[in-house]
Amino acid sequence: MKSIHPLTSIRGASAVQIMFGIVIIAALFAFPQFVESPYALHMMILFFLSTLMGSSWNIIGGYTGQYSVGHAAYFGTGAYTTMILLTTKEIPPWQGMWIGMFAAVIVALIVGSICFRLRGPYFVLASIAVAEIVRITALNLTDLTKGAEGILVTDIPPFKIGELLITDFASKVPYYYIALVLALAIILVTWLVQHSKLGYYFQAIREDQDAAHSLGINLTIWKNTPLVISAVFTSLAGSFYAIFIKFIDPTTVLPLDLSVQIVLISIIGGIGTIWGPVVGSLVLVPLSEALRSNVIAQWLINSGMVDAESGTGVFLKEHLAHAHVLIYGILVVVVILFMPEGVMGYVKKLAAKKKGGEA
Amino acid sequence: MAILEIKHVSKLFGGLAANSDVSFEMTEGMIMGLIGPNGAGKTTLFNCITGYYPPTKGEVIFEGRKMNGLQPDAVCKLGMARTWQKVRPLAKMTVVDNVMVGALCRTNSIKVAREMAMEQIRVVRLEHRANFLAGGLPIGERKKLEVARVLATNPKLLLLDEVMGGLNPAESEEIIQLILDIKQKGKITQMVIEHDMKAIMRISDRIVVLNSGEKLAEGEPKDIVSNPEVITAYLGSE
Repeated sequence: MKSIHPLTSIRGASAVQIMFGIVIIAALFAFPQFVESPYALHMMILFFLSTLMGSSWNIIGGYTGQYSVGHAAYFGTGAYTTMILLTTKEIPPWQGMWIGMFAAVIVALIVGSICFRLRGPYFVLASIAVAEIVRITALNLTDLTKGAEGILVTDIPPFKIGELLITDFASKVPYYYIALVLALAIILVTWLVQHSKLGYYFQAIREDQDAAHSLGINLTIWKNTPLVISAVFTSLAGSFYAIFIKFIDPTTVLPLDLSVQIVLISIIGGIGTIWGPVVGSLVLVPLSEALRSNVIAQWLINSGMVDAESGTGVFLKEHLAHAHVLIYGILVVVVILFMPEGVMGYVKKLAAKKKGGEA
Repeated sequence: MAILEIKHVSKLFGGLAANSDVSFEMTEGMIMGLIGPNGAGKTTLFNCITGYYPPTKGEVIFEGRKMNGLQPDAVCKLGMARTWQKVRPLAKMTVVDNVMVGALCRTNSIKVAREMAMEQIRVVRLEHRANFLAGGLPIGERKKLEVARVLATNPKLLLLDEVMGGLNPAESEEIIQLILDIKQKGKITQMVIEHDMKAIMRISDRIVVLNSGEKLAEGEPKDIVSNPEVITAYLGSE
């Protein structure tokens, strides 16, 4: 039996924690002033984007317990809406993204009306199926989406409010700030959810739907609400990704792979916690980057652990970069085996143990 | 005036009648005992009353209002709350959070809900467990948590499904006192499913006996214990 101290479970942010938070946020805002390396900025942007996607999923998956493995549908909806509006109607992305969010709400309500009749593994399967339908539709609606060819933009129109130029998107810095603000926004939303009626109702549904229902919780309303919140922010992530990478096609913004990765961010970090997706992103983004860019194979060879000319060395150099999905898989197995409540849950358990040892 | 009227309620699962043509009434403030052998249809009747199943035939009328077709959440909001035979704690939430979920049915404020929850937690005497995770509680305290949680929804009619099941005599006695206290306060009418005959005879004002889905008998406890049909149903006939 575990007792939770009321100060740490409920709005327990101490003065020290608040100060710490302010310092971190200030440092993140100042970061591009001191670091000019586009690669470092790029990594930070990926980290913010991952936090945004993971935290969005966390609201429906982590808090409400509805394991949607179809979040690529909302990501793709945001990305495609923004890109199509930009290329065909010349609507700038910061307007297009709102329409993308609206489109994601519609998709979410359709998904909700179909999938929320189902529970547990059946809900998971249905969410995958719906996302695949969206992907195949995008692949075949070639008039609108250009199908497998994808949509490419070369120039993002400058962001102006009236005559005032905010940014012309010439470097990675504006993307950095947009991604940072989005990531902070989703963390704030998660905090608000956790400390309001929504959080209680979402978690009640996660723990026991029938009990929740008997306590006056309308399941239709209270399962669709978190799905819509989640879809809106995932769609924002998609819109951002589209203008950041400037190219989208169904295999980059709508694949099942992406849906799974979104889920993993939370599962690795710790589902149903505010900081879980942040921690998950801290683990996954550098790891995936390291694997992709062959840093690990190089490091093994340079450190002399593996001979570059040997069979193993050649194999590592050639194949490790392609193995990031495999490593992802292994990591998930490891986390589920050793940290069933994610990194956050593990850290909390360690802290509790230490406290218990001192007492 | 009757707070709850059950009128000719039948529930069929395929061809199997879990309830057939059950009728009775409850007056405000009373405790109605609902007894019967296993499979008699007691829990099914609870499910029909609280909206989990629509009755195949018949009507459930609560405070003059027909309840057929209402979902469990709407039923709860109208003031009918039930506990579960197999307890359903929200395992990864604390005891106070569990009870707050019930209270949030009447308020949107977390602060007010917390106060309401603490009040009910004191009623069932679980104060010392308020910040424990519900999943870690032993069965006796889980049953109390169920009661606190439904009390927090501020019901007019409380349906308790075997709240004493699996408890030791001392724990059962606590629950009996709790039920009698609730009655004493006079605001809440109660329907109680129970297998413990001694307990049910002590707390009930009236008793309905179900057997194979049908109402076998209804009356005051002293009449029920001497009813030959009831004795046959429980003990079998020669």
